[in-house]
Parts: sequence; structure tokens; C-alpha cells
Amino acid sequence: MIEAFDVCKSFRSGRGQVAALDHVSITIMKGRLFVVAGRSGSGKTTLLNCIGTLEKPETGRISCAGIDITHLSRRAAAKFRRKQTGFVFQSANLVSYLTVRENIALPLELNAWSNDARNRRVDALLDTVCLRGMGAAMPQELSGGETQRVAFARAIAHQPAILLADEPTASLDSATGRQLIQLMQALVRESACTLIAATHDPDLIAAASETLYLKDGRKVGQL
Amino acid sequence: MRFGFLIKTAWHYVRRSYRSTMVLGLMVFAAVGCLVFLSALAVGTNDAMIRNSVGLFSGHIAGVSLPSGTTPERLMVDGTAGVLIRNEAVANIGQPGGTRTETVRIIGVAPLEEKKLTALWKKTLAGRYLEPGQPEIYLSRPLAQNLRVSVGDGLQIKLESWPTATLFTVSGLYQTGVSQLDYGLAFCPAQVLPESGAAVSAAIFLKEGIAAEPVIKIYQQRFDSAHFLPWRKFMPDLKQLIDLNYVSMTIVMILVFGVVSLGIACAFVIFILKSMREFGILKAIGMRSSEIVMLIVLQVIMLTLTASLAGTAAGAGAVAWLSGTGIDLSSLTSHNPYFVVSGVIFPRLTPFSACLPAVMAVFFGALAAIWPSIFVIRKSAADILRSI
Ligand SMILES: Nc1ncnc2c1ncn2[C@@H]1O[C@H](COP(=O)(O)OP(=O)(O)OP(=O)(O)O)[C@@H](O)[C@H]1O
Ligand SMILES: [Mg+2]
Repeated sequence: MIEAFDVCKSFRSGRGQVAALDHVSITIMKGRLFVVAGRSGSGKTTLLNCIGTLEKPETGRISCAGIDITHLSRRAAAKFRRKQTGFVFQSANLVSYLTVRENIALPLELNAWSNDARNRRVDALLDTVCLRGMGAAMPQELSGGETQRVAFARAIAHQPAILLADEPTASLDSATGRQLIQLMQALVRESACTLIAATHDPDLIAAASETLYLKDGRKVGQL
Repeated sequence: MRFGFLIKTAWHYVRRSYRSTMVLGLMVFAAVGCLVFLSALAVGTNDAMIRNSVGLFSGHIAGVSLPSGTTPERLMVDGTAGVLIRNEAVANIGQPGGTRTETVRIIGVAPLEEKKLTALWKKTLAGRYLEPGQPEIYLSRPLAQNLRVSVGDGLQIKLESWPTATLFTVSGLYQTGVSQLDYGLAFCPAQVLPESGAAVSAAIFLKEGIAAEPVIKIYQQRFDSAHFLPWRKFMPDLKQLIDLNYVSMTIVMILVFGVVSLGIACAFVIFILKSMREFGILKAIGMRSSEIVMLIVLQVIMLTLTASLAGTAAGAGAVAWLSGTGIDLSSLTSHNPYFVVSGVIFPRLTPFSACLPAVMAVFFGALAAIWPSIFVIRKSAADILRSI
């Protein structure tokens, strides 16, 4: 279970102080597909980043499985990300100088999986995302949809407890997008992974078990 | 820290960033290669000056006050290439019946052996060098001019310890440009120089790369009343010049590398920051800061090490090629007393000159990695990813 309580985060920018998250509180049950929806600039990415310890909220508290993750040291935060989370970013997901295989293997390398286990896992993941035979390709040789599928495979490779996906379908056509949504639904069904996705995509919102609506950093609804 | 993984990842980056790796590598390669060659040239120049200076007459070690009857064999030890024994006495010389006389050190030499080991005879301007057993005298042109004699003229020699004057014939005239040799000295075959009262000295020549001091130590145990001096002591001017050469070579290296490394450093910063996005991703998926720094350092070291090893090899290749034929700089050295015999320079690689450029390249490369490393560590993954 992930709990965010009264989380605030603001940025100083050319426009002055911008409240990206304004007293947001949520509870996300384990094994759900939780969607954060809202207009551009409403704070979706910021919320995902705070949950993934990429950013620190100014006030408030976020806990994951009862552990406060807002006050982790840098090192502990890196460990939390390495072990517990997987990320799918909106774009620019893959390490450009590593092949598809090497990209998917990254979290496994960081978590010190053995060679054998790693190879087997990467093979299985390539099958899951229907990219068997593409292991040796470089990221720049992939289409947008293939890139997002590789990113998804990398994000779930080490079987994290939380998967954070920031507009995973935004750069895809609706058919390819639906394919990815199905993959995500299957993941949530088959493992106990909690999937938190930021999106404007109605298909993804429809697939969600729960949706949070944000506007100007404030929670305006939850379904 | 997973070293194998980091090395693999760094290697993929260096190898697959083909163009930037090539450009940067070429820069390091050229800088290191040039510096290796330049430093070998400086060493070769020093070698040539030493070879010229000691090879003219003095040898690497000068022995004085040796017991009379000392043979060259007594002075041959490990590391010596040859030994010349000389007798010397102070004498008044002048034309028979003439009014001009000069007080000189007259040195009795073994002409055939001298010709093998020294180059003074090559400096003959008129006449010829001495022949064994002949009552001949070989003197410098300035001295001959003072005495108003030329080749074939007779010269009377009167030693302090040997009151009757002896008549010698001038066999040849020389000039070296080295004032110690061109003024106050004259040579004759040792057999015709009366032995009584003559001091015995030795010129000892060492093999390439042999230090004088250990050899002197052996001699001092053998001859307790004699004195032995290395060339550094009796040619302090040459020693200073060589030290100066080394200092200026090191300064040039540091300056050249200072400038080059500034360029390299800037290029490296770009090389690293160009993959900022990748560092952001790696941070986001849980790579530790220490691992990221290690990754950056490994990337830089891999590139500089490979390029500078290749540069060292290329520089060493050029040195090897030219050390056979030598570089003829006679036109630049013909009036220089430190190059009296030959102006050909044979570049030589010493461990120091071979390693320093590569070490400096790696050092400055690693230095250049500091700023981007700090930058990558300080910036949060969210900031990095958002800024792309
Ligand atoms: N580093 C930053 N500096 C200044 N302002 C920022 C920074 N990061 C985010 N913001 C601002 O915070 C607000 C929320 O940004 P956020 O990226 O979370 O929105 P979003 O909902 O993900 O938008 P989008 O759908 O366009 O991705 C925006 O107004 C944005 O301009
Ligand atoms: Mg966003």
C-alpha cells in the first residue's frame, strides 16, 4: 500500500512560485492499476516523481508498505528505486548506447542477478513484449511503440513492487497504446505489482481500477 | 559496486559513440605521440652533447695523479668501453732561436689508441695527427699563430724537470672551438716525452647508459692516491646545459599538455554531458552516485588510455625509425662547441619520456571528468529527465 499524506511541492520558475502539488493525499492499494489524470501541467509527473523518490516533497509524507520514503538518504533512495520501483518515462526512455537486451538487463545488473538468471529473464521479457529477435537492436532502430515496450520490459524486469509509468501511451497510436495497456493489465493481474500511471489517454483511464484527477496541483476528484 | 558491469557499460559507451570517440581519441593520440617524440628528441640532443663533449678528448671519467706505469688494462672494468693513458708535463715551447715562447701543458699520448677513442684528430685543419714514436708535436692553430709556426716547422721543447731542450716537428694543427683544448695544450707521442716528472692521467670511456659513479668507486679502491672525476664535475657547463634541457623539456611538456588538456578537458565535458539523459535514466533506475562517478571515470580513462597507448606506440615507432638514421642538425650546430664532432641527433626513449605523456593524458582526462561528475551527481534524476 502506498500512502501520500498532504504532499506539497512547488517550483520557482520564470512565472514565479508554481505549486505543482498542492496538499495532495491519496491511498493506493497494492496490486491496483492506479491512474493519475489531469491537464498538462497539473502535476502528474511531479506526483509520480515524488512517489518514485526522484523528487522530494516540501511538506507531507509518502510511505510505501509502511516505510516513510520522503526522508530517505540519497543512497537509501537509490536502493529503494533499484529494488522496489520500475519507471516508464514519457519519452527518451532507453540508454541510447546499449542494445535492447542490455537496456532490459540494466535493473537486473544493478540488482546483481546472475548471468544465467539474467539471460533467461531477458528472453522471457522479450517474448512478453513481442520483441523476440530484436534483442541486438539499438534503441534508435526502434519505432515509438517498440521503444515503449522495451521500456516497459525494463521497468518490470526485476519484478518491482511499484511500477510508475508517465504517459506511457502518449506517443503511440491508439492500437499500439491498447496493446501496451493490455500488457500492463496482465502484469497487475499476474503479479502483486502496483501500477501508477499518469495519462490523458481515455483508454488507459478506462482500464484503471482507480483514477485520481489533478488540476493545478490540487486533487479535484477520485473515482 | 558491480565493477564488471560498469566496465562493460563504459566500454559500450566509448565504442558505440563512434564519432566522438574517434575525434577525442585522435586528439589525445596526436598530443601524446608528439610529446613522446619531442621528449625523445630532447634526450637525444643531450646524448649528442655528452657524446660530442666527452668523445672529443676527455672521456666520461678523468683520472689524475695515477701511479707511473699504470696500464689501460688496470682501468678496464665492467662498463668501460676503453681507456687512454696520458703523460703530461709543463713545458716551454718556442722556435729554435726565436724570441716567442709559450708555457703549455704538453700531453704524451698513444696516437693509434687516441684515434680509436677520441675525435680530436678529426679536427685537424692542416698537416696530420701524430704518428707513434716520432718526435712530433700536434698543436692548436691559435697556439701555432702565437708562436709563428706552421706544419713542418721545428719547435724546441724544454721541460721544467728536464733541462735540455729537444727539437720536435709540427705534424699538424687543429682547432675545436673548445677553449680548454684550443689554448695552453700541445700533444706529442708518449714514447718521445721523457717520463721523469710527467704526471700520469687517464681518459676513461664508458659504454652507452653506464653511470660514472659506480665505476669511480671501483677505481678509488684500486688507486688510493689517484683522483677520478666524472664528466659532470669537470664539465660543469655541460652538466648545467643538460639539466637546463631537461627542465625546459619538462616545462614544455607541462605547458603543451596544459594547453592541450584544456582542449581535451572541454571536449571531455561535452563527451560526458552529451549522455546526460542516460545518466538521468541510470540514476532513476537506482544507480548510486558513486557508481555513476565510476562510470564516468571509466569512460574517460578507457578513452585516454587507449588513445595515449596508441600515441605512445606511434611516438616510439617514430623514435625507433629515426634512431637508426639519426637527424642531421649539423647546419644548426656547426658553430656550437657542444656539437664539435657531429651534429647528428639520435632520439632516444627513456622510461620517463615514454611514460610521462600518457600518464599526463590520463591524469588530465580524469581531472576533466570531475566537473561533469559533480554536475551529474548534484542534479536530480527528475531535473535531468525533465530538461530533455
Ligand atoms: N523543474 C521545474 N521548474 C519549474 N517549474 C516546474 C518544474 N517542474 C515542473 N514544473 C511546473 O510544475 C507544474 C507541474 O508539472 P508536471 O510536469 O508535474 O505536470 P504534468 O501534469 O506532468 O504535465 P504534462 O501532462 O504536460 O506532462 C507545471 O506547471 C510545471 O511547469
Ligand atoms: Mg508530465
